[in-house]
Amino acid sequence: MSDISVQIGPVRFKNPVFIASGICGYAEEYSPLVNLSRLGGVVTKTITMRPRPGNLPPRIHELPYGMLNSIGLENVGLERYVAEKLPQLNKRPDVAVMVSVAAETEDEFIRLAEAFAPMDGYAGLELNLSCPNVKGEALDQGRNPALVERIARIVKDRLPEKSLWIKVTPNITSVADVARAAEQGGADAIAAINTVLGIDFDLETGKTVFARGSAGYSGPAILPIALQKVWECSRAVKIPIVGIGGIGNIDGVRKFFLAGATAVQVGTVLYNDPALPATIISALEEHPEWLTARATLS
Amino acid sequence: MAMFVTARAHEHVAPVLRNVQLSRRYFLLRVARPQGFIEPRAGQFLHVAVPQAQAAGRFFLRRPFSIHDCTAEFIDLVIVEVGPGSHALRQAREGDRIDFYGPLGNAFPVQPGKRIVGIGGGVGLAPLYYYGFRSPAALNQGYRLLYGARTRDDLFLEHIPLEHAGVKLSTDDGSYGYKGNVVELAEQELKREPADMIFSCGPTVMMRAAQSLADRLHIPHHASLENRMGCALGACRACVVPTTLDGDSHYRTVCHDGPVFDGSVLRWKELPVP
Repeated sequence: MSDISVQIGPVRFKNPVFIASGICGYAEEYSPLVNLSRLGGVVTKTITMRPRPGNLPPRIHELPYGMLNSIGLENVGLERYVAEKLPQLNKRPDVAVMVSVAAETEDEFIRLAEAFAPMDGYAGLELNLSCPNVKGEALDQGRNPALVERIARIVKDRLPEKSLWIKVTPNITSVADVARAAEQGGADAIAAINTVLGIDFDLETGKTVFARGSAGYSGPAILPIALQKVWECSRAVKIPIVGIGGIGNIDGVRKFFLAGATAVQVGTVLYNDPALPATIISALEEHPEWLTARATLS
Repeated sequence: MAMFVTARAHEHVAPVLRNVQLSRRYFLLRVARPQGFIEPRAGQFLHVAVPQAQAAGRFFLRRPFSIHDCTAEFIDLVIVEVGPGSHALRQAREGDRIDFYGPLGNAFPVQPGKRIVGIGGGVGLAPLYYYGFRSPAALNQGYRLLYGARTRDDLFLEHIPLEHAGVKLSTDDGSYGYKGNVVELAEQELKREPADMIFSCGPTVMMRAAQSLADRLHIPHHASLENRMGCALGACRACVVPTTLDGDSHYRTVCHDGPVFDGSVLRWKELPVP
């Protein structure tokens, strides 16, 4: 079996296949269906300083080529995550945990980073600066390169031994500017992309499907959008890029590598096919050359 | 604070044994019981992948279906054909392989010696039928089942144990059984002979009426809900319903905290009416 481990900042992951944030909760929930130890790692559901109840239901809406979600960062908050969720996951041997976090202010990012600094049991943080389903802050942070740079630096300064990933929004004119800012701030990787803003309406009622109106679009429809953002980022920065969005099979994974990604995260497809990450890893072990293949213009 | 209890789901693939139309809109999908399939409890469900999704050229989430029957040989699901997912399942042929997880979720409480009345509508028959007449864990001597449909065409009589004295049916138009809705029938039946507890499964409006009946009679009511689901494992938080419970959130997942809820904790007015 080939070595397909990847280095992302100070951390070496055993392979480049992760489960995306928000998909598998705190990961333990998926343990009956996915061998978590086999993965490069899991990115756990975004946590915030305080628990959040999440958005009014309905929260999920299937469409012919993907789905809209409006979960609204429902989470147990930092305290319970650290006291219960992470220790429970750490009982499983050899599961690399990337903790997704979001915060409303720079000061909150300082407090989050300081809370994680003395802790073990995780490989790094993925900063969710791009959730479309909460009021204001997260998405706006991700649209402001100067702020992205400051937030990255706040966290990296306090967690130099951990892998720091910045998850970027596709809902922006120039993702390259944000990626460059993240790199400048000391990020170890760009995680691209979060969900694409979308909306749908009920023809019978004339109302939006979701109470908040707009929601996050994921699934096979967004693959070419995600590939384009990764392509753009890979031309803007030298740090690794973690490709996310619309992977449905090994072909999608190969395309992310061609676009310039170093690793990938599998998301929405997991709801249908929880065996896919393991299938992808086996295919990559057989074809390690796929990891470094890069596309050229036709 | 209790730790999250991980679901005991396993992914199974099993061949279709039967796929037959039950009534105008309902069909019965019978799959072989796979090896290692844990004995289900009434109220639990399977999360079923839509077959031939790639051939259909579109994206599908899995579909949750309550277990209608389960023996050593097979598992039965009763499905209403409403959209492209259920349509694709209706097209599955004998021998086609169906991929599912389960059994998932919680169950109606087993209450030996209690007089229980099940109130059902539509595909809500499944857990109430399984509870009272098929589930080995819950066979209950005094069990009564009241089941309603819009019209006789929606009733699948061969799958309702009509020989059982406690089974009564209603149709909105009076084309079979009691004329009126099933909760009115239940009220009449409960006046005639009281019960200790109500179980319900069906349209939200019906279950909400069952809750107010239970409130008036001061007896407990357990309702089995359905909802759109992503993971069905309690992870994605997509299928939540509002409750009066506290904690980090007042929302609870239908897939993992439910599908069966003590009706008194649900915020009925805020539940979506599909």
